[in-house]
Amino acid sequence: MKTLLKILLVLAFAGAAHAKEIKLLNVSYDPTRELYTEYNTAFAKYWKGKTGDDITISQSHGGSGKQAQSVINGLEADVVTLALAYDIDAIAQQAKLLPADWQKRLSNDSTPYTSTIVFLVRKGNPKGIKDWDDLVKKNVTVVVPNPKTSGGARWAYLAAYAYALETFGHDDAQAKSFITKLYKNVPILDSGARGSTITFAQRGIGDVLLAWENEAHLAIKEFGADKFEIITPPLSILAEPPVAVVDKNVKRHGTTEVAKAYLDYLYSDEGQEIAAKNFYRPRNETIAAKYAANFTQLKLVTVDQEFGGWAKAQQTHFADGGTFDQIFQPQ
Amino acid sequence: MKKNKLWLATLLGAQLAFNSLGADNADTNRNSDIEALKQQINALSQKVEALETQQAANQRTVTNAANDQIQALDQKVRVLARERELDQDAAAATAKAAPKLSVGSSGFIASSADSNFVFKLNGVLQVDSRTFFNDSAIKSNDGILLRRARPIFQGTLYRDFDFKFTPDFAPSSGPTIFDAYGNYRYEPWLQLRTGKFKTPEGLEQLQEDVNISFNERSLATDLVPNRDVGLQLWGDIDGGVLSYAAGIFNGVGDEQNSSNAAYENEVEFAGRVFTQPFKNSDITALQGLGFGVAGTSQNGTSNTKDLPSTTGGTSPGYTTDGQQQFFAYRTNAVASGEHWRLSPQAYYYYGPLSLLGEYAISDQGVRNTTTKANADLHNTAWEISGGWILTGENASFSGVTPLHPFDLHNGQWGAFQVVARYAELNIDDAAFPVFANPAYSASAAQAWSAGLNWYLNKNIRLNASFSHTTFTGGGTTTGSGATSAPGVVTRQPENVFFTRIQLAF
Repeated sequence: MKTLLKILLVLAFAGAAHAKEIKLLNVSYDPTRELYTEYNTAFAKYWKGKTGDDITISQSHGGSGKQAQSVINGLEADVVTLALAYDIDAIAQQAKLLPADWQKRLSNDSTPYTSTIVFLVRKGNPKGIKDWDDLVKKNVTVVVPNPKTSGGARWAYLAAYAYALETFGHDDAQAKSFITKLYKNVPILDSGARGSTITFAQRGIGDVLLAWENEAHLAIKEFGADKFEIITPPLSILAEPPVAVVDKNVKRHGTTEVAKAYLDYLYSDEGQEIAAKNFYRPRNETIAAKYAANFTQLKLVTVDQEFGGWAKAQQTHFADGGTFDQIFQPQ
Repeated sequence: MKKNKLWLATLLGAQLAFNSLGADNADTNRNSDIEALKQQINALSQKVEALETQQAANQRTVTNAANDQIQALDQKVRVLARERELDQDAAAATAKAAPKLSVGSSGFIASSADSNFVFKLNGVLQVDSRTFFNDSAIKSNDGILLRRARPIFQGTLYRDFDFKFTPDFAPSSGPTIFDAYGNYRYEPWLQLRTGKFKTPEGLEQLQEDVNISFNERSLATDLVPNRDVGLQLWGDIDGGVLSYAAGIFNGVGDEQNSSNAAYENEVEFAGRVFTQPFKNSDITALQGLGFGVAGTSQNGTSNTKDLPSTTGGTSPGYTTDGQQQFFAYRTNAVASGEHWRLSPQAYYYYGPLSLLGEYAISDQGVRNTTTKANADLHNTAWEISGGWILTGENASFSGVTPLHPFDLHNGQWGAFQVVARYAELNIDDAAFPVFANPAYSASAAQAWSAGLNWYLNKNIRLNASFSHTTFTGGGTTTGSGATSAPGVVTRQPENVFFTRIQLAF
């Protein structure tokens, strides 16, 4: 009878040895849905081949700032693939979920692909929009999301501001005046890039959409080249959307190894190909050359060059009471 | 415009005709007049053309302005529509992020939007009556009592941490804590619970108080522990196809409820494995089949705490369905040595049918502190109970939900269930006479019960049942123990009629 009891206790403890299915949550920004849908399939196949394990990768998308706040508030992301480094910095600083130097952990400052901001206009470009100064004309209506919540909107704002600084000899007052005029032409602010695309393309509002380059290409792919065309201005900004493992979450989930591999694989040939096919500019030069026709060459300024880095740009322009709050009046 | 030209030509023709009718003038004068008139006509034509051009231009300007205005208005309408759409999205998102409150048959529930924080307030109130028949030797055992009066506070913190606190205000000795524990839920299959809660042993004991078939649990439950303080690793694998629990507890006697603290060197180990192998299968007739085995083991110290509960008497012992003690240890008997239990158990639910059975062994080491005699008492009990719901509802281990809750206005009566049970408890012969007095304590009890349960709705239930218990041994009518339990109880079979009004939410 005692032996039976011992067996019973062992059996009871043995229940705890039940295996767990691998799950990963990628919290990303608005326009990466298609990119990561394709990439996740490729990675799952790669991981299965390498380890034999099945993996289920969930995606969460929204305005980059909002997504970062969700992670800070407890959304258990294993990895974050956001629109700009500042948003991941916020997770590191406010929630301490990953170290402050997270950006040094992967090459290219943890940015496996880049992008930029372009103009999406209606077919035939009826307003003759060619450059940033066309956006401040009185009869032009501009669609762009809210920089308070959208990473893409912050890139677009800074691209316009950088143009003004370059045009007016880095006179900040004139640049501010320029950006004020531009946002006077913005009738509505969506919270994310995908929302603005809907506003422009589906709801028929505005003459020009300030869009991520990939988002503009996807809009044409989805709605047809007979409806829209992309105008690449001579100057724009080098948008660097970074990626990071959320250390404390993966440690808790037991997914550290697979989360790291997930991000590393973005730098692989297959990962870079998928990025390029989805109209993100790949870091890998060979693959970038292969897809060169997809990407118009233009002068790209960086946040570090023009604005002294993201922390300063955020504080000056997008923090409460910053330049954007001063210049934008809802219509 | 053509009309204007025609009118001018008519005028000119009239003038020419008039001139021709007048006096004969010189040809030269006539020619000059004609020339002058031609010039006038040209001038007038030019003026008319200019007027026409101006008019067309004005028309175009008006049209363009109107188009621009229409386009601007169209954009404004589109912007307003989009703003409304975004406002609605924002309102939906805000509503989604707002805390949720609900009051219903499951109690009062407050939850954060993401359900990571949940607070539930539930309660149980049971008002019973017990009427004994043919027991003239026993005074004052009929009556109405508050059997349970328990507010239940439970919830979740930070998604994975659960808690439950259940005091009971019914005991005449004063409020008692029944459940008070925290639970970490890594996954449903891996959880860690600590505090005071039910030891994973008896099947009937593990069933919620509000869902048991009769007012009182059977004789088999006399041999298993009630609630104890400890630490338990447990989980449900594949939605309950396999459940396990393994824990370390202070250790309590049979049917004992821990007094919240115990200071002794030996702990009790408890484990239970239970499976419902067909739960997720397509074989509906077997989905409600569950079976398992549970056990405990403790090297007890010499004290009375590890002997059974004193319910129904003054010494540790075992009780009948009517909560009267039919077996009691002598006052100089204490637990000593090892105490282990084993309980194979099973249930089967299919449609309105319910069957539940278990066998319980409580192997209790005891010592007589006067004679210094030791013994290892092998007490056993078993029970089988069954039920049938007359109104078509499905029976389950977690209760009955009426298909048509009581509502006289609509001719609905709720659910009715008939239940029956047979149980036995046998005391090891070695208990007599050194550890228990055979003159008064029974060495065995056999009980059958039958009842009717009326589920008015999910929250209100009425019970009525009858229980008949016979005893082997005991029953001596003389001596000091003849006027109190267990002597007075075992003198005749116990016949008791129960009723209960239960409110549970």
